[in-house]
Parts: sequence; structure tokens; C-alpha cells
Amino acid sequence: MQGTPFPEWRLHMEIVSNPLFGVVLSILTFWFAKWIGGKLKWSVLNPLLLAIIFCIVILKVFQIPLESYQVGGDMISMFLGPATAVLAYSIYRQFALLKKYLIPVVCGCLAGSITSMLSAWILCDLFGLDESLKASMLPKSVTTPIAIGISEQLGGIPSVTVAIVIVTGILGSVLCPVLLKIFRIQNSIAAGIAIGTCSHAVGTTKAVELGEVEGAMSGIAIGVSGILTVLLSLLL
Amino acid sequence: MKLLKQLGIIFGICLVGEGIAAILPISFPASVISMFLMLLLLIAGILKMEHVKEAAEYLIQNMAFFFIPAGVAIMEKYDLVKGKILVLFVICVITLVLTFLAAAFTVKGVIRLQEKLRAKRGIQE
Repeated sequence: MQGTPFPEWRLHMEIVSNPLFGVVLSILTFWFAKWIGGKLKWSVLNPLLLAIIFCIVILKVFQIPLESYQVGGDMISMFLGPATAVLAYSIYRQFALLKKYLIPVVCGCLAGSITSMLSAWILCDLFGLDESLKASMLPKSVTTPIAIGISEQLGGIPSVTVAIVIVTGILGSVLCPVLLKIFRIQNSIAAGIAIGTCSHAVGTTKAVELGEVEGAMSGIAIGVSGILTVLLSLLL
Repeated sequence: MKLLKQLGIIFGICLVGEGIAAILPISFPASVISMFLMLLLLIAGILKMEHVKEAAEYLIQNMAFFFIPAGVAIMEKYDLVKGKILVLFVICVITLVLTFLAAAFTVKGVIRLQEKLRAKRGIQE
């Protein structure tokens, strides 16, 4: 019989509906995902992507409703705003470098951001995707906190945007080194800006491996492209 | 206490950002307004890096963690993307390559242009 209050079931519900449940599950899955990533050193094993998959699998297997998880999950999501705001701190840390190459950096990020949004727009129309998916796709190249903000403003689905942004980042860290070779881009500034503009923080970890200038430029491009994409989305 | 103070400053800036977003006539992500606000305060020298250093670095280093619940919510939206995953993936690959090339060649071109202009100016002087 459904809903029978047998003791084990009540205990299960007590634990699962506690705000700490969502927090603990998130921390444990992220911890485990990072541990696996560290062992295998495979760029496809992004810790965020893995943690999301583990959480979903656990919720499904134990038939825990999403609302129960989100009681604690909402507490974690509260940190999204502050986590975005502190990007200012990392932009400011690179301020001297940004000032020195201001014009090429802004031009490159602008060209990249326009290309990203325009090509996503055209391709979504071409493949006949609906408006909410299109809005979720438009901010795909920028860093997750900014992308979520844009997606919400445009009427997209934030969780779909999160998934697309992570997949884009992973694709970038795999494809960018190949693209650099094929198109013979030897200029470190151009390489760093291109990586940061098309694949945000996940790609930046790859750029850091390529060199110090590449890493710093990629980091700058995350902030500059993020800001430019927000401004561009206002025009839509 | 130090970390608590730093978190207080960051959260305070975000609260002001939320307030500004509510007043603005256009819809603009509050978190990005907070970012601008913090950048302005840093550039103006009102906020020093050491005022937020540890808390900011903690948030940046663990940034990915804070997105887990937002991502898990896709569970309920799965029906919307079901059957479109391959299409979305293809779009991601194409836009990524185009974005990369647009950014890389623009930076290269502008740097070359700047060098040419500088050389021209050098001759004139």
C-alpha cells in the first residue's frame, strides 16, 4: 500500500527532506567526481558534469523527489550571485595586462561573442528548435554564472544552459589545441583570447597548460566576453 | 572573523546589485551588476584586494560546486531536450569552431594593424 508509514520509510523521509541532505549529497558527489577526475586526468570527465550525473542517478535510484534535494540545493544556489561578483576580483588581478592589450582584447572578444550568439541563433532556427531552447543556447560560450543570468532574462531554461555551457567548455578544452595547430595560431595573445571566448573557464584550464600568457589572456577573455555578451543580449 | 567579514562585504555588494537590478527599467542579470559594482570599487581603490582576498579566492576555486543544483534541475526539464541532444551537440561544435576562429583572427588582425600604425607613426616622426 502506498504511503504506509512504516518506520524505515519515515526515517528515509526525515533525512531526505532535511536541507542538509541536498548540501551533503552535492558535496559528496563533487568530492567523488574530483577524485575520479584527478585519477584519470581525462578532460571529458569534468567534475561538475560528473557530480550532476551522480546526483541525478542517486535521486532516481532512491526515488527521492527533486524538491527534497532542492531544499538544500537552493542554499547552494544562493552562492551563485557572489560567485559571479568575485569574477571582478580575477579581472582586476589581470588589470595591467588588460590595459596593455585593451584594443585587441576587446575587439577579439566582441567578434567572438557576436559570432557565438549569431551562429547559435541561426543554427537553432535552421534545426527548428523552439524559442526556450534557443534562449538557453545563446549564452553558451560564456561562464556559467553569467550564462544563467542571460538565459533567465531571455526566457531560456537555466538548467539546460548549465549543461550546454559545461559541454561547450569540455569541447573547447579538447578541440582548441587542435584548432591552434590546424590554423597555425602562434600568437599567444590571440590563442588565449580565442580559448577564453569560446570555452570560458573549462577551456582556460587548458590555456594555462599552454603557457602563462595564454592562461592570463584566456582568464581575461572570460570576463570581457561575459560582459559583452550580456550587453549584446540586451539588443535582442 | 576575517573570512566572515570578507563574505559580508561580497554578499553586501551583491545585495546592492540586486537592489539596482530591481530599480533598472531594463532586465539585466543582478549578478553581473554586482560584478560591475565590485570592479568599479576595486578600480576606484575604495575596495582593496586584501579586503576580499581569501573569500574571493575560495569562491573562485570552488565555483563549479555552486552550479550542481542548477544542473541537477535538468532532471525535470529532460522532456524538453529529449530527442534533440544530438542536434544541440552539433550546434555546440559548429559555434565553438566559428567563435574560436572569429576571436583568434580578430586579435591577430588588430595587433598587426596596431603594429603597422605604430611603424607609420615612427616614420613620420
